[in-house]
Amino acid sequence: MTPLALAPVHVATPGGYLLVLALTLPVIGVLAILAFAPRRARQVALASMAAGLAVAIAILAELLRTGDALTYVVGGWQPPLGIALRADGLSAALIAMTALVISATGLFARGMQDLSPETRDGRAATTFWALLLATWSALNTVFLGEDLFNLYVALELLTFAAVPLVCLDGRAETMAAALRYLMFALLGSLLYLLGVGLIYGAFGTLDIRILSGLGDGGPALSVALALMIAGLLAKAALFPLHLWLPPAHAGAPAAASAVLSALVIKAPVFLILRLVLDVAPPEAAAFAGQLLAVLGASSILFCSVMALRQARLKLMIAYSTVAQIGYLFIVFPLASGPEGTPPWETIAWTGGTLQLVSHALAKAAMFLAAGVVAEAFGHDRIAGLGGFGRALPLSAAAFGLAGLSLMGIPPSGGFIAKCLLLTAAVINGHPWLAATILAGGLLAGGYVFRVINTALASPATPLAVQRPIPRRLEMTALALAVAAVLLGFIPLEPFGLLQIGRSGLATAVAP
Amino acid sequence: MTASGSLLAATILLPLAIAALCLSSRFRARAPSLLVFAPLPALLAALLVPDGTSALFPPPLRLSLMLDRPGAILLGGAALLWSAAGAFAASYMRSDPARAGFAVWWLLTLAGSLGLFIVRDIANFYLLFTLASLAAYGLIVHEQTARAHRAGTVYVVLALLAEAFLLLAFVMLAAGHPDPNPAIRDVVATLPAAPLRDAIVTLLVLGFALKLGLVPLHVWLPLAHPAAPMPASAVLSGVVVKAGAIGLIRFLPFEAGLPFWGTLLIGAGFVTAYYAAIVGVTQTRAKTILAYSTVSQMGLLAVLLGTGLENADPGATSLVAYYAVHHTLVKGALFLAVGVLAATGGQRLRPMLLLTAVLALSLGGMPLTSGALAKLASKPMLGYGLVSHAMALAGAGSTMLMLHFTLIVARDVRDNPASIAPAGQLVPWLAVAAASLILPWSLYPAISGEPLASLIQPDALWKLLWPMLLGTLALLLVRRFERLQGAIPEGDIVVLAEAGTPAIARLAAFVERADAHLRRWPVAGLLLLALAILIGGALMLQA
Repeated sequence: MTPLALAPVHVATPGGYLLVLALTLPVIGVLAILAFAPRRARQVALASMAAGLAVAIAILAELLRTGDALTYVVGGWQPPLGIALRADGLSAALIAMTALVISATGLFARGMQDLSPETRDGRAATTFWALLLATWSALNTVFLGEDLFNLYVALELLTFAAVPLVCLDGRAETMAAALRYLMFALLGSLLYLLGVGLIYGAFGTLDIRILSGLGDGGPALSVALALMIAGLLAKAALFPLHLWLPPAHAGAPAAASAVLSALVIKAPVFLILRLVLDVAPPEAAAFAGQLLAVLGASSILFCSVMALRQARLKLMIAYSTVAQIGYLFIVFPLASGPEGTPPWETIAWTGGTLQLVSHALAKAAMFLAAGVVAEAFGHDRIAGLGGFGRALPLSAAAFGLAGLSLMGIPPSGGFIAKCLLLTAAVINGHPWLAATILAGGLLAGGYVFRVINTALASPATPLAVQRPIPRRLEMTALALAVAAVLLGFIPLEPFGLLQIGRSGLATAVAP
Repeated sequence: MTASGSLLAATILLPLAIAALCLSSRFRARAPSLLVFAPLPALLAALLVPDGTSALFPPPLRLSLMLDRPGAILLGGAALLWSAAGAFAASYMRSDPARAGFAVWWLLTLAGSLGLFIVRDIANFYLLFTLASLAAYGLIVHEQTARAHRAGTVYVVLALLAEAFLLLAFVMLAAGHPDPNPAIRDVVATLPAAPLRDAIVTLLVLGFALKLGLVPLHVWLPLAHPAAPMPASAVLSGVVVKAGAIGLIRFLPFEAGLPFWGTLLIGAGFVTAYYAAIVGVTQTRAKTILAYSTVSQMGLLAVLLGTGLENADPGATSLVAYYAVHHTLVKGALFLAVGVLAATGGQRLRPMLLLTAVLALSLGGMPLTSGALAKLASKPMLGYGLVSHAMALAGAGSTMLMLHFTLIVARDVRDNPASIAPAGQLVPWLAVAAASLILPWSLYPAISGEPLASLIQPDALWKLLWPMLLGTLALLLVRRFERLQGAIPEGDIVVLAEAGTPAIARLAAFVERADAHLRRWPVAGLLLLALAILIGGALMLQA
């Protein structure tokens, strides 16, 4: 037994109740929807979103005020018996991002449902609101969890909330996509659960903080981590495990696609980050990190080319998601700063986080804009959309601004992220990763440019709008895209917020 | 904030503000008529703000500006051309339904290209460079023809490539610096001793040469400049390519010198100058000939930069700026001339053709024109050896090309009905032409350090005249071979690159097939297990 396990590992902080609210508010919303459906589903959902957004902001404010992580120990029982919730700087940033994207998506979905009043209170609409809130609760649980089994439950909840979002319209095509998603995600869950079992059997605890103090965990820990990481990779759809993502994300309704692509796949990525940085022994993590970086780089290059080749707008955006996720995996070798610098104080850590957040905002904006386009013209074949910029100028602008962030063009969050990652690659001597980052930017330029070029074209017969789109609907996407661009104004150095609450952990990736 | 500082800031912010106001549809209709005013802060700044003024804006803007001698010369000339071309555009495009959108791209390109001359920090240099590069795309494809789209695609591919080269170069430059967004001057001072010096300089030269159009990276110019509407061609050829010149001026260490890179630039410059003159003389369209002439002139600019770099001569930057501003005004005036002449016929045609010919021959170094001044001012720096003779030969090439241009323009307007171009086009053209003939005289003594009287010495005149005679003879020779006309397609070697597209398409098709294969259940399942084993192995190997 290490001395760490004897002293209380988690000390509850005064603001800890906010974390509980972040988990439970959406669940209460789901229950209320079930109780008041179908008439009041929308109002309940939107009210929950307003409250959840306020809680997220409160968590962020409390974290900045105290300068330390927020902790809540459920029932006062210390791990390994009890469960703890903890929000450090990174978790708080992700919770705020989630709240922002979910709220924007909610507003968009409301506008979209208003377009067809006959189905506004129908079963699909009500289900959508319940699933959206359930997804939110699951995401927050992933970001706050400290217990590996608790995280497993959160991941399952996330999968079961996300899969039906794909096939809300009930077409055979989307049902097949959803089934594919479900099967592969379950395969991932299985591997993850196997790893959890191994760890519990070997160490008698599942608390990440206790595990992080173990030092060398022997082969049991290695096998367990390998199973868990592989399972999470399947859920994150990193190349070459992306078989389910393009049809699922492209087939879902626009609002659902936005949440799936922007948020849902970030949860497994976040967990891989925690496993590699917090649980794995540093020397082992360095080598595994290299392997993950190779996968990330292949993902960037391969799926960007695939995005370039897509004929349909939403499929293109979906492939771009797989490509952009790759950037989060090349962070591992880059975040090994000079001797003694923990990863979260490196610029690569800030760059990776910024990439995660700006991609979430930009990708949500893109999917919402694509949803507007598909709604207005009845299809999303890029070749048939020549001149859509004239009919839907705000959506074209939203797509363009979000594209700037994906391409890494200044001023945008994506630019700062890529600039920081590139700097880290240069300083740490990773020329191939630097080349990959640049090539990924060029390919992203290619597929974004293709759409912008289509938007700006002036075909002989102007494109006819099949149904009028209210301005407010277009504004949601634009607001998210502008937020992604505004992220470009944070300073070009390790960002203080992301270091809050990290220093207590004992491990670091060795250079 | 001082008055000078605000004027510098307004250089960038006024055009951006006008572009932002275009979001309101009522304002949008009036935007084209405001194009003439957008560059005025820049013009005032170039005239009134003393050299060495700098202005800092606090975070989150992190913008710092500075005006120095080369920057001021380039800024003034560019602002003048932007303003005149803006007035020209308002008249030229008055019946174009898409002119409001054109105005927005115009303003964005303007803000970026003028801001580049005064920006002091590295991050905002990149920002403005990107703005100028990408917004110019909107100008190139404005006419929405198949030609414009092809030109736009080639342009965007090369522009993004340049962005990538430069981003990596800037990141490598700034990587070791304590300030994450250092001043350009500070990082360039450390460049000669940097461990990755040659890699950084390679990337910088590649990135800026793409913009400047040095052979073989010039292919976008002869496609893009003729495809754009007339006033846009004028600013693209006159100002936007100068982003490459200011980039090399700012980022190469002229204080310390880099002899190898200097020699390389000189070589690339001469190859560009000769190659573009030879390819240009086979072209049959006036605007394409002008674009090739721009490539050729940018080659000479590279020669001057290379000489400065070889000799560690910081004074070369002012000289380069002087040469560049001569080219900005003359080339701008020539593009506008093509537009004006196309709308003119009858009695008025003859004097206008004469003025056009004078402007054109100025590029060949005709005595008493700005071209002659620029060439004579650079003579002392180039010395009297091989480089000097090669420069004179390039003058012959330019003369040949510009005579060819004059003959082509005269041929094109022969059957015009008797009419005259509207005043809205005529006046801006005459203004730029006059500026190109007058401005260089006023700058000459300060730049060259010699009195104006030295310009009319007989031996100075002879130095200018023999290349022109040689060029005339060369053109007479070329015109005997009629088959040469139109023998080389526009964009010359881009045709070879485009021949490679099937190979790229095959590669992409291969990726597509691989993707379909990887996304099959058995394959993905096996890969998942393989990955688990691989990661486990990786973790155990080191644990």
